[in-house]
Amino acid sequence: MTLKRSIPALVAASFMLATPALAEGELNIYNWGNYTSPELIEKFEEKYDIEVNLDGYDSNETMLAKVREGNTGYDIVVPGDSTVKIMIEQGMLAEIKPNEMENFGNMDPKWVDVWWDPGRNYSVPWQWGTTSFTVDTEVFGGDINTLALMFDPPEELKGRINMLNDMHDVINAGLRYKGYDRCNSNTDELRNVTELLINAKQYWRTMDYSTIEKLTSNDVDLSQNWNGAAMRARAQRPTLQYAYPVEGFTGWMDNVAVLKDAPNMENAKLFVNFIMEPENAALISNFARYANGIKGSEAFMDEEMLSAPEIVMPADAPTPDFVKPCSQEVTDMYNKIWTKLKQ
Amino acid sequence: MAEPRRKMKDLRKQPGFDFMAWFCIVFLYAPIVVLIIFSFNDNRSVVRWTEFSLRWYYAAFDNEGIRNATIVSLKVAAVSTLFATTFATMAALATTRTPPFRGQMLSYAIINQPLMIPEIVTAVATLSFFSIIKQLTGVTGIGYLMLAHTVFCIPFAYMPIRARLEDMNLTLEQAAADLYATPIQVFRKVTMPLLAPGIVAGGMLAFVVSLDDVIITLMVAGPGETTLPVYILGQIRRGITPEINAVSTLLLLLSIVLVSAFFTLGSKKK
Repeated sequence: MTLKRSIPALVAASFMLATPALAEGELNIYNWGNYTSPELIEKFEEKYDIEVNLDGYDSNETMLAKVREGNTGYDIVVPGDSTVKIMIEQGMLAEIKPNEMENFGNMDPKWVDVWWDPGRNYSVPWQWGTTSFTVDTEVFGGDINTLALMFDPPEELKGRINMLNDMHDVINAGLRYKGYDRCNSNTDELRNVTELLINAKQYWRTMDYSTIEKLTSNDVDLSQNWNGAAMRARAQRPTLQYAYPVEGFTGWMDNVAVLKDAPNMENAKLFVNFIMEPENAALISNFARYANGIKGSEAFMDEEMLSAPEIVMPADAPTPDFVKPCSQEVTDMYNKIWTKLKQ
Repeated sequence: MAEPRRKMKDLRKQPGFDFMAWFCIVFLYAPIVVLIIFSFNDNRSVVRWTEFSLRWYYAAFDNEGIRNATIVSLKVAAVSTLFATTFATMAALATTRTPPFRGQMLSYAIINQPLMIPEIVTAVATLSFFSIIKQLTGVTGIGYLMLAHTVFCIPFAYMPIRARLEDMNLTLEQAAADLYATPIQVFRKVTMPLLAPGIVAGGMLAFVVSLDDVIITLMVAGPGETTLPVYILGQIRRGITPEINAVSTLLLLLSIVLVSAFFTLGSKKK
């Protein structure tokens, strides 16, 4: 009898746990895991008396899947460049007009008219970086600034290479090495690239995202990677050097944007303006170890980052190539190449 | 119940049994052993050993993200275990202590449905379903995550409870009834005490399953509802530190304690 009576009480209790969390003074941030400076969050909470909930995701796709269904309860997301474009096109982001905000003048002008959000009506930079590769200069003594090291490696690097397990990063590197355009639909050129990749595969030891672990465990002597990861790997294996290949390399930017159905819209706008403050942008960089796109933030950044060759590009390096999303037709062809390569 | 015991002896005498058994055990557990060893590594790397240290355990305890995720995990697991075990007990009683009824097989299938359907399908379906409900009612909160966990925990709690009920001899309950005990008295004084180890075992299994879930939680969790496994998943792209090894080791320890308790209670026959 006690059991029977307690069931409705328990059900009722469970609904009380589900009370709405829409009180004023909240902000719900959904960002990549281990990417948000706890200091930044504390500072924001104190300044505006707002309680921040921070959750992490593992990929743009996970975040998109949830946001597409709507009513996630999140205010802020941090999509990559091409994901921002997709989200704007599909009407998932609120037009918050960062370009009319107080701190907008701090943004480096070169990040204002970007193809994924021209004029910055929806998003502001969080962190940006490059995708290239790292080589151990003790193992290979020659010129490292060429993609030939991945596709036509010298004897000492054969079988000592890790590639990112990422279709676009690998195919784009192949296209650049051959001197072809990105988002390529020319079947002859794609056939050549496929041959190049399949031939190069015999020299590759692994295709894996855990580049820091691969390099620092001496599993490989060359790994495709992101510049921030390259810097962290170098800290443990000082003979590593990040390459700026003459054929070109990928640039990427993660951007802060506000969801259309954000429950705390005004607080979200406060946060967007807040991170354009140089001191706060520097907090992000000091934690996540990438550049931030806000002028004047250098003054507040760790010494190590200001001199790191992975962050500060040499003057003669090519401009990073921010690759636009390709058409469905091209993506289908890329998928076929990728499947063939992974067989 | 007597049958498998007779065969067991033969199986162990098969040539190569020892080798196969050890091979499987090593293959399954070597990575976990490596993970535990590196949680005590002093260096930042999860692949290169320097010296013994507890610094990553301190770091994990000091990390607010990990602390919050642990609290959410335990809260969700506790509530969903309570409900899942209650429902599973009712279901087990209804499917074993009643005369065979039409659709009995169907009810088994429905109760065990979360075991059959791929988790990602349930996850995506639940995500859409909850999104519609949130749209209609405006109610948000951790209740949704607890509800989703309750659903997939039910079959795990149901199986040991049902197994226990099937092992229990009906004569005791019949004898009690013969001595003019009302059905409720029979349940409280006879069935329940005999069934308790099964319920506790089922509850612990449900707790572990809830604690370990990733896919459904990843999809259903709202703001501030990151559980420990989802937190760990989010770290992978940015590089794993031994902090994650330390947390995983603690999580593993909790799972081992609960599963061992489950087997001890499950094997206690009276």
